[in-house]
Amino acid sequence: MDPLILSFAVVNGLLIGGIYGGVALGLSLIFGVLRVVNFAHGSLLMLALYAAYWLQIWAGIDPYYSIIVTVPLLFGIGFMIQSVIIAPLIRRESALVVEPLSALLLTAGVYLVIDNLALMAFGPNVRSATTSFALPPVMLGQIPVNMPRLIGFGAAIVVAVGLAWWLKTTRMGRAIRAVASNRDAAALSGINVPLVYAVTFGIGASILGLFGSLLATFVPITPQVGLNFGIRSFIVVVLGGIGSLPGSIVGGLVIGVFEAIASQFVPATSAAILSLGLFVLILLVRPSGLMGKA
Amino acid sequence: MSQPALETVDLHAGYGDVRVLNGVSLTVGRGEIVALIGANGVGKTTLLRTVSGLVRAKGGTISLFGERIEALPPHDVTAAGFVQSPEGKQLFLNMLIEENLLVGAHNRRAYERRKQTLEEVYELFPILAERRTKLAGTLSGGQQQMLAVGRALMARPRALALDEPSLGLAPIMVDRLFEGIRKIRQLDIPIFIIEQNVFQVLNMADRGYVLEQGRVTLTGTGKELLENQHLKSTYLGL
Repeated sequence: MDPLILSFAVVNGLLIGGIYGGVALGLSLIFGVLRVVNFAHGSLLMLALYAAYWLQIWAGIDPYYSIIVTVPLLFGIGFMIQSVIIAPLIRRESALVVEPLSALLLTAGVYLVIDNLALMAFGPNVRSATTSFALPPVMLGQIPVNMPRLIGFGAAIVVAVGLAWWLKTTRMGRAIRAVASNRDAAALSGINVPLVYAVTFGIGASILGLFGSLLATFVPITPQVGLNFGIRSFIVVVLGGIGSLPGSIVGGLVIGVFEAIASQFVPATSAAILSLGLFVLILLVRPSGLMGKA
Repeated sequence: MSQPALETVDLHAGYGDVRVLNGVSLTVGRGEIVALIGANGVGKTTLLRTVSGLVRAKGGTISLFGERIEALPPHDVTAAGFVQSPEGKQLFLNMLIEENLLVGAHNRRAYERRKQTLEEVYELFPILAERRTKLAGTLSGGQQQMLAVGRALMARPRALALDEPSLGLAPIMVDRLFEGIRKIRQLDIPIFIIEQNVFQVLNMADRGYVLEQGRVTLTGTGKELLENQHLKSTYLGL
């Protein structure tokens, strides 16, 4: 194997892996705080991709500028999904932790509804957005680095660091961590737990709004694109350690690099199978994930 | 101005079909320490959870300084001024000690004065100031209980409830904790306290209630209850 080709694969794997990690951040945050596995995670990314696409078609807004719409839009959608659809389930089980299975089934239902509504509304055609910015690859030695992917990678790092800092230092961030740690004690301390849940869900979804805009120029936009990202996010989050933001990025990088290297030796579809094998292997050794607390 | 700090009238509550409180009526006056005594499973903690809004009242009323609070969600009860340090401490173990305290000051009224309150709590429990940048999970049982009480004080309570603060503590820590509770009373905060440590708590309390099967069966001043034959034989084993 030519070392240049291999290092090209590694760089590409890092970029894609970072993006996987960034996309998975919201899933990790939501699970860490609400203990709800959001099966509709990928569907929200799909909605964000379409939002970026239609903003370009209808309003001529460049995908990179559409962030100012997609981020608040997805925050609103996430906030509503939590406060309208999931909150009644949590209220019903009042003092107890939410039954993971019932929440999973509920969000799986949300996924089915969103994906099929998207299929009805947008049709099965593959679409893609284009940016008017000239984004030539930058050269890393002899290796060309794809600019849109580098931007996505950078955004993942910035969001992970920024989110961790925000959770650490702000009043709302502290409240979110308190709710994640002990829901009843947080309520007794004067924290509006349903509001914190809705805000957390909104933040998790708004990160997908950002990535919808950033990925719209190079990810084929179809009503089914979400599931692929959703399942990969789940793998990334479990691999990295559930609820750990750095873990989400690390998990993404591991999967991204592994698949990029593996696909140099076997077809890309088999590489995905191998990465699931790696996933199982790592969990056998570290059941709580790479960065998870035992 | 004559309403009691806390008053429940004919309070009913339970979980699902299980009735736990069958008409509890009691009052905590301003500036009073009132003890609630009873065996395990008679509804002491459920009573506090109901007052705090974590369990919905099925009947009866709860008033805080004359204002009805039985329909409020937990965070509004805390904001209104009834704050409890829950059974089993329920700390945010993976957060710093100072963060635990600051979370306690989340309601708007308390948040504005959080720096001043923090100083007061540190003065009351100096060990917390010493360890402020450590994780709450690193504290000993007695120190954790002080943190739980301190966190409740951070909310600037108008009425404070303590659920079994001495549970599992070494006798020396119990003494230190009760000393802290006496100091809190001097801040003119009425205290409603659930305790297994019957002798010690009745010595400190102005009045007490005995809860049996979800009902108040006995009430009186701390001294009267200490003299009571039924209470002596049941709870003090004398």
